[in-house]
Parts: sequence; structure tokens; C-alpha cells
Amino acid sequence: MDTREWALLAFTILGQTAAGLMIVLMIVRTYIAAKAGNDLADRLTNRPLYIVVPVMAVAFIASLFHLGSPLHIVRAVPNIGSSWLSREVVFAVIFMVFAALYTFLQWRKVGSLGLRIAIGWITVLLAAAYIYAMGMVYMITTQPAWNTIATPINFVIGSLLLGTLGMAAGLIAGGHKAEETNIVHTVLQALAIAAIVLLGIEFIVLPIFMAYLATQGGAALQSLNMMVGSYGVAFFFRLLLLFVGAGVLAAYLYRNASIAEKEKTLASLAYSAFALALVSEVLGRFIFYASHYRIGI
Amino acid sequence: MAKQLAFYVDLNKCSGCKACQIACKDKSNLPVGVRWRRVFQYEGGEWINQNGQMIPSNVYAYSVSSACMHCAKPICMEVCPTSAISKRDDGIVLINADICIGCRYCSWACPYGAPQFNEELNVMTKCDMCHDLVDKGERPACVESCPYRAMDFGPLNELQAKYGTFADPAPLPDSNITEPAVVYKPNKVTKSSGNANGRLMNLEEL
Amino acid sequence: MTQNNFLTKALNDTVMSRRSFLKWSAAIGGTAALAGGVDFGLKAIEGAAAAGEEQTLTVGCYHNCGGRCILATKVKDGTILRIVPDPTPVEDETPEVPRAIPCVRGRSQIRRVYAPDRLKYPMKRVGKRGEGKFERISWEEALDTIANEMKRIKDTYGNEAFYFNYAWGVTWTGPDGSSIIQRLLSMFGGYVGYYGTYSEAAYGVAMPYITGGYAGNSADDVVNSKLVLLLGDNSLVTRSGGDNGGYWYMKAAQNGTKFIVVDPILTDTVAATQGEWVPINPGTDVALIAAMAYVMVKENLYDKEFMATHTAGFDEATLPEGAPRNSSYMAYLMGKGYDKVEKTPEWAAAITGIPAERIANLAREIASVKPCAIIQCWGPQRRAYGEQFVRAVPILAAMTGNFGISGGNTGQLPGGGYCPMGGIPVPPNPVQVSIPCFMWPDFVTRGTEMTVEKDYIRGASTGWSANAGDTTTTQANKDLRLKSNMKFMWNHGGNCIINQHANVNYTRQVLEDDSKLEMIVTVEVGNTPSTLYSDIILPGTTGFEADNIITGEGHGIKGNHAWALFNHKVIEPMFEAKDDVWIAEQLADRLGFGEEFRDGHTTREDWLREMVAGAQASIPDFPSLEEFKEKGYFKLPGGKPFVAFEAFRADPEANPLGTATGKIEIYSPVLANLKNEEIPPIPSYIPEWEGVSDPLREKYPLLMMTTHFIARSHSTFENVDILREAHPQCLWINSLDAEARGIKNGDMVKVYNDRGIVHIPAYVTNRVRPGTTNMPQGAHFTPNADGVDIRGCGNTLTNYRPTPMAKGFTAHTNLVQVEKL
Ligand code: SF4
Ligand code: SF4
Ligand code: SF4
Repeated sequence: MDTREWALLAFTILGQTAAGLMIVLMIVRTYIAAKAGNDLADRLTNRPLYIVVPVMAVAFIASLFHLGSPLHIVRAVPNIGSSWLSREVVFAVIFMVFAALYTFLQWRKVGSLGLRIAIGWITVLLAAAYIYAMGMVYMITTQPAWNTIATPINFVIGSLLLGTLGMAAGLIAGGHKAEETNIVHTVLQALAIAAIVLLGIEFIVLPIFMAYLATQGGAALQSLNMMVGSYGVAFFFRLLLLFVGAGVLAAYLYRNASIAEKEKTLASLAYSAFALALVSEVLGRFIFYASHYRIGI
Repeated sequence: MAKQLAFYVDLNKCSGCKACQIACKDKSNLPVGVRWRRVFQYEGGEWINQNGQMIPSNVYAYSVSSACMHCAKPICMEVCPTSAISKRDDGIVLINADICIGCRYCSWACPYGAPQFNEELNVMTKCDMCHDLVDKGERPACVESCPYRAMDFGPLNELQAKYGTFADPAPLPDSNITEPAVVYKPNKVTKSSGNANGRLMNLEEL
Repeated sequence: MTQNNFLTKALNDTVMSRRSFLKWSAAIGGTAALAGGVDFGLKAIEGAAAAGEEQTLTVGCYHNCGGRCILATKVKDGTILRIVPDPTPVEDETPEVPRAIPCVRGRSQIRRVYAPDRLKYPMKRVGKRGEGKFERISWEEALDTIANEMKRIKDTYGNEAFYFNYAWGVTWTGPDGSSIIQRLLSMFGGYVGYYGTYSEAAYGVAMPYITGGYAGNSADDVVNSKLVLLLGDNSLVTRSGGDNGGYWYMKAAQNGTKFIVVDPILTDTVAATQGEWVPINPGTDVALIAAMAYVMVKENLYDKEFMATHTAGFDEATLPEGAPRNSSYMAYLMGKGYDKVEKTPEWAAAITGIPAERIANLAREIASVKPCAIIQCWGPQRRAYGEQFVRAVPILAAMTGNFGISGGNTGQLPGGGYCPMGGIPVPPNPVQVSIPCFMWPDFVTRGTEMTVEKDYIRGASTGWSANAGDTTTTQANKDLRLKSNMKFMWNHGGNCIINQHANVNYTRQVLEDDSKLEMIVTVEVGNTPSTLYSDIILPGTTGFEADNIITGEGHGIKGNHAWALFNHKVIEPMFEAKDDVWIAEQLADRLGFGEEFRDGHTTREDWLREMVAGAQASIPDFPSLEEFKEKGYFKLPGGKPFVAFEAFRADPEANPLGTATGKIEIYSPVLANLKNEEIPPIPSYIPEWEGVSDPLREKYPLLMMTTHFIARSHSTFENVDILREAHPQCLWINSLDAEARGIKNGDMVKVYNDRGIVHIPAYVTNRVRPGTTNMPQGAHFTPNADGVDIRGCGNTLTNYRPTPMAKGFTAHTNLVQVEKL
């Protein structure tokens, strides 16, 4: 992997994080609003919200390093009719614009609550479209290891996982008053469960995907061999980190969230779960890029 | 059918000398690392012990000269996010360097490895079928360069009428993927795409 | 080794960086001609076409592959745009005279002219010899130094201390090239010349002892053959362009001619002709030939009448007078000869590695399919006992009745037509002694001790084997001696000082002591290991920088027709490069015979005109210089293919061969007189040192050949980046040998023997016999700090041990070990 590929890796992971966070954030916001009113919902979710746009901005800057002619990024738009890469870029841009708009409205409390919520949900839809497009970019007929339903699933799950654990970390980092502890902890528990479920899905999809590659022969088989061969160690660590981060730590998070006095523990659990998931995703993406074998020559 | 210019290579006449590759690089002044035309060395067979003597068993070798195939279904063009890749009325698929942003998506997609990144120019480049020469009524540099006259060039339907329709010599991919504008004439040992017991040998392709 | 990284240091001094070359490539594209602060001299040439107009100017490809293809440059505004093949209109192409489309090497010429390692200005050595330290000097100083040294050495040691080294970078190219320097040195009082070649020493020397000279049918005659048997011939690589062997072999194969190729390697020639591969152990062809002859005799499959009337010594009946009993080839085959071994297929199978059954079938096939062209090439004679192979192959041609007929051949290399031109007149050399070209290091270390009997020094020679004179007659003058060891060497566009000579590390030792050989002058266009061992380096022009006339090679594996080419000057000389005529004239002036040297030729064109006049003398249609230049080439129409020794076949009494008996001398009475076991009178299988059966294989188990490589003409073109990319230098090794050593395709390996170490990528393939490896020759010797060559120069491992009779290079006879790095 050279700079260009690392740039691509950074772009996708950061983009996924931002989009995932946005999606989970709106869900959490809705939940809190229903339980404890819109004011609290805004207050608790605004802090995490403020990082969505910067993360996305960093993602964009990283993406430029991938391009041969970064100044011409706008030219990436015209082929939206057939190119998923075009679509990815377009959705990424619109998502970022809406995320910025939503962030601005939330920050300055501009516009009615209804409008803000509507814009928030539009942003969520854009985030979802962006993630989907990101996954579809790799659905190339000549790349058998990529060209399976596992790819978009992987991108979506990865994104939601990063968003979920990111949200948990953001929620804690944002701080809260004593009387809000209950609701925060309930949300944390929900997020922990979500993380475990997402992990479960990943662990179901993965063996099916590998078994599929094994039956395809040719370039697909070469990819598989690469994953478990040359990149076997990275592959193992990716699974281990994912399991520990989204599984074990999330479970602890769940348990500890029921105990009121454990704020510090909760914080470190949430941060490390997110960090482990992030590293795991980086490793996963690295293997994803490194082990692809194109059909042909 | 719309006009589609195409290449022809007679594998009975190709020695694998790579004069075509060098002629191409000379014509378009390509740096090391960018090979618009490549010649794949494909080998198979083994040595076996027969009554204490080592003898070759089905050892064969042949070469396949290949460049951009100016496909009927150019997957490069389909995936390119910009409009840098276009197909002319005569079928030539071109990358416009002024529009290309160098995202390399086309090189992930093309099963012929035709689009190659030029590190000096920071754009994706590939065989342009010497369209400047073709527009002047001349033939592409590579076609003219073969010492054994293994190559030909012209409208695909004419080439197919003359030489047949085979477009799948190993190690090239299945021609169904992109419908390449190319005709190969196989020689005695040529294997078809997907053949499992031969190997691509070129050290420069490792 | 004290000179660590000597090449790198020198390169820093002389080489512009790759970066500036790239900028320069951009400049070729039309922008400013200034890059990296260096003026590359891309000035529009005099008389060039008007601005913006595209011209097609013919240039030659006159490297030592022997091919001489025709190419042309597209030139616009004084810069070269690209190369195009032979500009002869396609309509003018005939089956006899095809367009001479250049090979992969010729196509890359522009990058050779603009190579980053072009020598820019004269330089003198300032460090120890070989250390690679040079200093830029003016032409004035360079020429004065050379002239003064020449005078000093002549005064001290005499003219026999001067040597004109074997070199083929500029030849068959007038007026540049060897002749102009030979003229200079002859007028200076003479020099020791050489005879023979690095390519075909054994061939040139031994062939006269069987057929009285050498001649094969022209290459286009293979189209008339039903079957072609090639022994060690890889013309698709060695002469792959133009209308040389490669072209005609391909054409014949297309026509349905079957090819059988005896070679340890499944060469491109085997693959491209879709021929049958007979993988043989290197150095054992003579055993295969004997066994095939044995089968033909046993099964009564040979032309008895022809053998009786046209050959001497095939059987006891035709033995020349005075030959002892049981000294015939037949006796040798049947186990009655000196070794008392019957040459059965089983006997040969154990030696050659070819199953006995296959040998027998091969014999039956070539004896029955007619006509069959039996062709030997020069690879197998660049071996320990090369002379035996040379003389053995024509026996098969004679036995199968293919000698002297169309579609057959003489068992020799195919010939070809060529266009006779005038040349630079070289006055007779006053020094009447020459050495076998390969033996020059002995001339340096023990020249005055070299003898006729042991070292085969001879009377004067003009160059190469074909006219090198008769070994045995010169053997008569047993008192011939050199009066001095070598003190001055002129190396004219050659890389035999280090790179192309055997055992690089030994040669380095010989040269590093500059009290022995005191002065080495090299004229070159680019850096080579040889320039780095020189004392004065003069930057010469490439073919693109001066007008020249290129003729065909005197013998060439090509069609029976000829052409001459006008090689245009397409750019001004690069940097301070000067052409050879100018260099020689300047020296002649300083040595006091300028006027005599010029002999009325005031311009380069005068010499060209004289060459044209020479051509017109034998070819009345030859155009004027002006017309010739305008069109760029002159092609004689082709005729029927040439059939060698046709008249001899028809009537051997009236048209005897040039042998002692006038017959095909399978038993040579002259060789018998030498009474040398390594030069027997009949072609015999002699097990090689460092061959298949040498016990040294316990230590160095793998045989290593150093074949010609498609990306280079010897070491020329080694500096072309895109050729190195297209055909990377590598060690061919069989997959079984590789597997046993844990080597995978592309892995770096260490190849070594007692003479040196090379690091090189492995090409793991089934296209080479198990037990055999191949390191294509010509890569530039580039030692790292430990003296290990890291570029794959085969001569790091070859042996400075000549063939017995021709004293030829034994480039392919080596034992090595290979390890994964
Ligand atoms: S120039 Fe001709 S023979 Fe040589 S590699 Fe190309 S197609 Fe093959
Ligand atoms: S060969 Fe590749 S680059 Fe060329 S048109 Fe087909 S898909 Fe596109
Ligand atoms: S058509 Fe032109 S650009 Fe394409 S491979 Fe041939 S020489 Fe190169």
C-alpha cells in the first residue's frame, strides 16, 4: 500500500464514521426527545454532532491524496449516470453540506424545531445513501472478492458500528448532569446492545462470504488465500479487536451502565470499544484493499 | 453495428519479442512502468522422470500481445466518475488527460490492465489506438512494428470475417466481460481463458 | 578489493540523472531544449526541413547482431519524434526482398541516443585504473595526451606494443568504424592485430578443415525445406528483425516447414516456429550426432554413394593416404576407433540426456524427410571443445544427402547476400603478427613468450576468422614472436576489456596494474565497464549524429539479396561528441602524417563518395551519392536462394573444395599432423571440463550458459531503460532445480563459482533442462561493495580458458551453484 491507498482507506473509514454517527445520533435524539423532551435531546446529542462535519472534512482532505489531480475533484461528478464513484462523491458532498447545515442550525438554534428535525432526517438519508454508494463502488464485475453482497453489507454494518460506538463515546464525553444519568445510561445500554447485534451480523456474513470465495476459484480464490495467507495475521487481529471492542467491551458497557457510580469506567469502556472497533475497521479495510484480485491481467 | 476499429494478433507469428511494446513506448514517449502494449509470456507443462531420464512433458510456451481492447462494453468508461473516458464513433476508447482526476477506478475495473497510471503526469493513461495516426490514414505504431507481421488492424467485422472471432487466449480474461475489439488466431498450444495449468511468467508483471 | 563501488563513483561523474533525462524527453516533445542546466544540443541540423515539416530520414541499426535492419526517424524541427520501420513502400515489397522491419532493439534506438549515460566530453583517468575516477578535459588535451603517449610508447617499445582491440560497436559502417583507426595505426608504423572473433572463433578456424571454407545456403532457402534441424540456433532472438534468420524461419514455419530444435532451452525459436524441442545437455551435441550417424549406418539410411564420392575419411575406404587403420569416422562409430566405444543411442542417451529411442527416431526422421536443412549456429561452438561440434554437423548434412541442394544445407550457418561498397583504405600493416582476439590478456602479461605452437599467434591479419589464414601454414613459421608485451590499446566502441571478456575478476587484476598495459584509449558513446578501465575516454557520435553508409554484414543469416543504407545525420552531435573520422584526422595531424592520412579527403562526404564509387564499380546501377541519400536505401532485387556447394555436389572432381583432399574432410590429415588429443582428425565427442560429467559438479552442480539476449546486441542497448523493463535480466533455472533450493519465480538468487558471485532475479521455468541454467550475456558488470556483480554479468562466472585450436571464447561452459538470497 502506498500513500494513495492509505488516503483511500482514511477517506472511507472516516466517511463511514461520520455518516454512521449521524444516523445513530438522529435515532438517539429521537429516543431522548420522546423520553425527556427536545431540549435535553438537543443538549445531549449536539456535542457528538459537532464532530461529524470535521471528521467528514478530514475524510475529504484524505481523499485528495488518493487522486492524481486533486484540484480537479469537481470533475468527479459528471458520470453519475453510470459510475458509483461519482455517486459516492456526490452523496458525500451533499451529506456534508446537510450535516453542516444541520449542525449550524442546532448550534445557533436557528429555525423551528420541526425544520431542524426534518433537516436532520434528510441528512440521515443522505448519510445512508452515501454509505450505500461507498459500498457499491466496489461492486465491480472484474473484482470477484469485492463484487458480492457482502461488500455493501460490510460497509453499512461497519459504518453503523463505528457510529454506534462513536455515539456512545461522544455521549459520555459530552458530560451530563446527575439527573440525566438515567437516560444516558439507558441509551448507552441500547447502544451496547446494538453494537453486539451488529457484531453478530458481521460474524454471520463473514464465513458465508469466505465460503463463497472458496467456491469461485480463480481470482476470488486468490483473494481468499491472500486474506488468510499473507494477511492472515492482520485478519486474525481484525476479528479479535472487533470481538473485544464491539463484543466484550460493549457487554461490559452494558453491565456497567446499570451502575450509577461507574462514570469513569463507563467512559474508558466506551472510548476503548470505539478505538478497538476503529482499528479493527482500519485493518479490515487494509485487507480489503490489499487482497483484491482483479479478473484478467 | 457501428464501426469498431480493432486489433488482430496471429499467435502463430508472434515470437514474444516485444517490438510492438517498444514501438508503442517510442511513439508515445512512455516512461518505464507504463506499458500500453504488453506481451504476456504464458507457459505450462512439467519435467518428469522416465526410466531414470528427465524428459519434458507437454512443456509449452507462447506469447500474447495485448493492449487496450477498445471494448464494446468498456467497463473502464462505465466506472469512471468523470467523463474522461469516451468512445469515439469509430470505437476508439480514449482517456482525456485534462479531465482524468487520477482516481484509478478504471484500472481496478479493466480486466486487461489497460489503464495505467503515469506517475510523471499524474493521470491515468492507456493505449489510444494511435488515433493521431489512424486519423491520418496510417496504422498504429505497434501494428507496423512487428517483424513477423503478426498484427493487423481494421474494422472488427472485417477482421472477424478474415480471421475468425477467437478473443480468449489465456492468460487474457473471458471476452464476455467487456466484449473486446480484438481477434486472436490461436497457435497449436494456445489455451483458452480460465485455463488452470499454465502460468503467466513475465518477471516485469510480478 | 579496494575499489568499492567504483562504477557508482564514476557514474556520478559522467551520468546525468534520470530526472534530467525525463525533462529532456519532455524537451524532445517540443519545449525548450534546456534541461537541468545542461544544453543538450538539440539544435536543428543544417539543411533540415522547414519548420513544422515532418521528415522521414533513414538511419541504420548497425550493432553487432549482424542484422543491419532499416529504420527511419520521423524528424521535425530538428528533434526526433519517433522511429518507423523500413520506409520502403509496402507495394515495393516482394517475397524475395521483404521490408527489413527492425527488431525490438532497433525500435528503441532513440533512447540509446538520448540515454542518460551518454558520455559528454573527453575524460582522463585520475585515480587508480578501474577505480572510476575521471576528470573532464578538453579535446585538445585528450588528443595531445594520446599523441604524446603513442610517440613515447613507440620510442620505448616499438610498434609491436600497440594493439587494436576486438570491438564491434561501430562496424560495417563507413566511414566511421574500425577501418579509420586501423588506417591511422598502420600509417603510424603498425600495430598488432587480432584474428578470429569472440562469436565464432572455432567455427571460422575449424570449418575450413572439413569443407574448405564456410558456406551455407542463404536463409531464405529454408522456405524450400520440408524439415529444418537447428542445432543451438536461436535466430528469433539473435537476429530477430529485418530479413534475417528469424524472419525466414517464421516464414518457413508458416509455410508448413517442420522445425526440430536441439537446444538445452526451449528458445523463442522453438516456441515461435512451433517446432519440436530436443532438450539436450549442454556440450553434448557431438555425441548426439555420432549416435544419429550410427543409427543411419545400422539401418542403412544414408547416402552411401555421396559419402563415397564426396567425402574423405567417412569410412576406411575413403581415408586419405597415410591415415592409420581404424581412424575413419565409421570406425569411431562402430567401436573400432581410438576409444573403442560403439556410438549407440544408449551410449549417447546417457551423455545427452535424450532418451535412446528419441535419438533413433530423430535419426530416422532427418534421414528420410527431404529436403532437410541441417543448420548449426555459433552457440554450441563457444564451448570447451567447440571445434568438434563445428566439424561434426556437416557430416549429418552429407549423410542425409542434403549437402549442396536447395532446401537442404551444408550443416553450416545460413549465408546471405550483401552489397559490396568501397571503404576506408587501410594500408598494409607493417607489423606482421597477430594474436587470437580472445588471448589479449596474455599479450598484456606474457606477450613476448607467446608462441605459434601453443598460443597460435600468426602473421598479419585483417580481422576475423573467415580470412584469418591457415593455422597450419602459420604453424610452419615456428619462430614468430612478439617483440613486446602490450603497452597501448585502442578500444574502439568495444566492451571486451572487462564486460564481454571471460572472467571479469581476472581481467580486472590484469588491467589494474598499469605498469603492464600503460595506456588504454576508448572511444564510446555511453558508459560501460570498459570505459571505466580506460585511461582516456573519447565521446563518440551515435549513428544519429553523423552521415554514414551502412552495408550488410559480409555473411549474414539472411536472404540472397543485398542492400545498402544511407544513414542520415538526424541531430547535431550530443554534447562534445565527435565522429571517428575527425578523431583520427586530428591524431594523424599530431602524429605528423595528417596530409597523407586525408589523402585529398577534405570532408566526410569525400569518404562517402568514395564508398559509393566502390559500389558503383561492382554494381553499375548503384545511384549517385545524392540520389542514394535522398532515397535512403538501395536494394538489389532478390534472386533465387543461394545454394552452397552446388557445383561441388554436381562434380566434385571439377569443383573440389578447398580442403587438402578437395573433399568433405571428415578425416583431416592436416589436423592429424597436429597430434593433439584435443584436436583429433575426426570430429569426436570430448567430455568437457566444467561439463556434464566433470566431477566438479559435486561442488558446482549446475551447468550455466550465457546465451545471447533479445534485449541486447551483446552489451549494446544495456543502457536502454525500456528494454531492460521489457526483458529483465534474469537467471533461467528449471523449476525442479529451483524448488530444491526454495526459489520462486522472480526471487533474487546468488549465482557463484570460484571466479565470482552474481546477484540476479531467477526466472523459474520449465523451458530449460534440469541441471542447466542460463545467464544471458551482456549485462553491464556492476560490483557492489563486496565485489558481487548485481546486474547479472555472466562473465563474472565464465572461464578464461580458450578452445584448443581456435583459442576461442568458451562462454557457455561453466559450472555454478545457485542459492536463494
Ligand atoms: S512485435 Fe510481433 S512478434 Fe514481437 S511480440 Fe509483438 S506481436 Fe509478437
Ligand atoms: S480494455 Fe479496458 S481500458 Fe480498454 S476499453 Fe476495454 S475495459 Fe476499457
Ligand atoms: S495502438 Fe498505439 S497506443 Fe495502442 S498499443 Fe499500439 S502503439 Fe500503443
